Amino acid sequence: MEPYKFDVNNYRNLLKKYIASQDETSLYQAEQFSKLSMQHNISPEEIINVHIQALKELYPDLPVEIDSSMNFLLETMISYGLAYQEFQTLREKQGELESEISIAANMQQTLLSTTIPDIVGLDIGAISVPSHQMNGDYYHFVTDESNNLGIAIADVIGKGIPAALAMSMIKYSLDSFPETMRNPSVILENLNRVVEQNVDTSMFITMFYGLFNPETGSLQFSSAGHEPGFYYCADKDQFFEMTTKGLVLGVSDQATYEQFDITMESDDMVVLLTDGVTECRIGERFIDTEEVLEVIRKYMHLPAQEAVELVYRHFERLQDFQLRDDFTLIFLKK
Amino acid sequence: MITKSSVQIRKEWDIVGARQMGRNLAKELGFGTVDQARITTAISELARNIYLYADKGKVAYEKIEDMNKKGLRIVASDQGPGIHDLSKVMEDGFSTSGGLGAGLPGVKRLMDCFDIVSEPGMGTTITTIKWVR
Amino acid sequence: MNLDIEWNDNGKTQGLKLAGEIDAYTAPKMKEALLPLTKHEGTTIVVDLERVNYMDSTGLGVFISALKSTKEYNSDLRLVALQDRVRRLFDITGLDSIINIDSTVRGGK
Repeated sequence: MEPYKFDVNNYRNLLKKYIASQDETSLYQAEQFSKLSMQHNISPEEIINVHIQALKELYPDLPVEIDSSMNFLLETMISYGLAYQEFQTLREKQGELESEISIAANMQQTLLSTTIPDIVGLDIGAISVPSHQMNGDYYHFVTDESNNLGIAIADVIGKGIPAALAMSMIKYSLDSFPETMRNPSVILENLNRVVEQNVDTSMFITMFYGLFNPETGSLQFSSAGHEPGFYYCADKDQFFEMTTKGLVLGVSDQATYEQFDITMESDDMVVLLTDGVTECRIGERFIDTEEVLEVIRKYMHLPAQEAVELVYRHFERLQDFQLRDDFTLIFLKK
Repeated sequence: MITKSSVQIRKEWDIVGARQMGRNLAKELGFGTVDQARITTAISELARNIYLYADKGKVAYEKIEDMNKKGLRIVASDQGPGIHDLSKVMEDGFSTSGGLGAGLPGVKRLMDCFDIVSEPGMGTTITTIKWVR
Repeated sequence: MNLDIEWNDNGKTQGLKLAGEIDAYTAPKMKEALLPLTKHEGTTIVVDLERVNYMDSTGLGVFISALKSTKEYNSDLRLVALQDRVRRLFDITGLDSIINIDSTVRGGK
């Protein structure tokens, strides 16, 4: 069967054949005809016009009533033709918007990119995967002159572009704090005021900030309502939730943040994450903490970067490769 | 040679009169059935805009017949409130979303040439041409 | 999933009974029901979350907006009968320290 060519003669022959035999083949060709017409931006009124012409050629004595009724139909279809053309234009526009968003997403990645620093005696692994194009999760590493490591992990509530914009604000505020102020509770208090003044009322940010001293193995940390991380104590072969207390950023300008600290011994590990990990959903069921820790335990003997990637792959598969929320996971292994 | 005629738009029924005159002229010029229907739809839209937003105005027709080509020029003008944001009304999905019809982008699609001049407080003039193919 | 909202108007006390899931899709519906109630001075809004089995951070965002609005209009917001999973979210984010949550009526799983 040859693909149908768009022209009145073809249409007339096809119509003639169909009227005579009422066969499925002709109907299939009619379908081809309509697809071809769409490809060539032929509007519905033009198809009706072709139909009228073919009809007149086949039946020169076509009753005038039928003729008028066909013209009536043609007039009626004009607006549909316009709506179709408009739809085409809007579809092109949508394509443009999508490509603009993907450019913005790339820019966001560049703007917010952070390199994992080399710290003697600490193996660091980090992964952050957005559920949509723009990531509402964020992590940031910074080292100071005395080789202390600052670690920030944050989640902007609200997704997509507004969240990404808020994230950029956080990054630049973080960068602008002087080194002498790299104290977790002070940093969060300052950020809280920045966010409180700048972000709309239903948007807020959760953040964990930690400061690691490689010489002593001490990790000082504070949390602004962030999903608690876990401390793995090698000596006891046990995970402990890093329970903190602190209000999310951007809700009250009075918020203060308590500072905690732990001392990491050899083979100890700290796990930082966002709720994209803990709120992972398998069908109708939510994953519980024990399951998360089990998966972490399975891979934690590996180099940190390899381990976080494998944990991510595991959860990606569990969720049928459709992330519901942005997923960020950091391992700090001593 | 140029032949001019026009229809005043004051009430809804005048839209039908404007359509009728446009269709007759299109027929005389030798436009095919589809183009006749398109020209008429465009006139409807223009006349309806006058009736809805400017209260009154007119639709004028000029038959263009020279050596090379034939066509119909339609000029819709009013002294109504004018249009503040022309790019907005020319945007797809702006007027149609309210179910108002094809809107001005629709008129532009139906015709071959389209031009609009509008000044807030002074009124609007829309000039369109369709050429006989 | 869906969110059902039942509204009980008792004058000075306005009750909202929610059932289902509060996420990015249903949060706007909750916001529409909740925010207008906060704008009457002296009103106490009691939000019953007993039959809410899931809430994500978008839901928290709505409660934060509502709380800010109660401060502005001098009304009062109370959350009652939270399931453990939902309650945990308020604990972690520290919002339990600024939103009035009645834990004595705890919802079951």
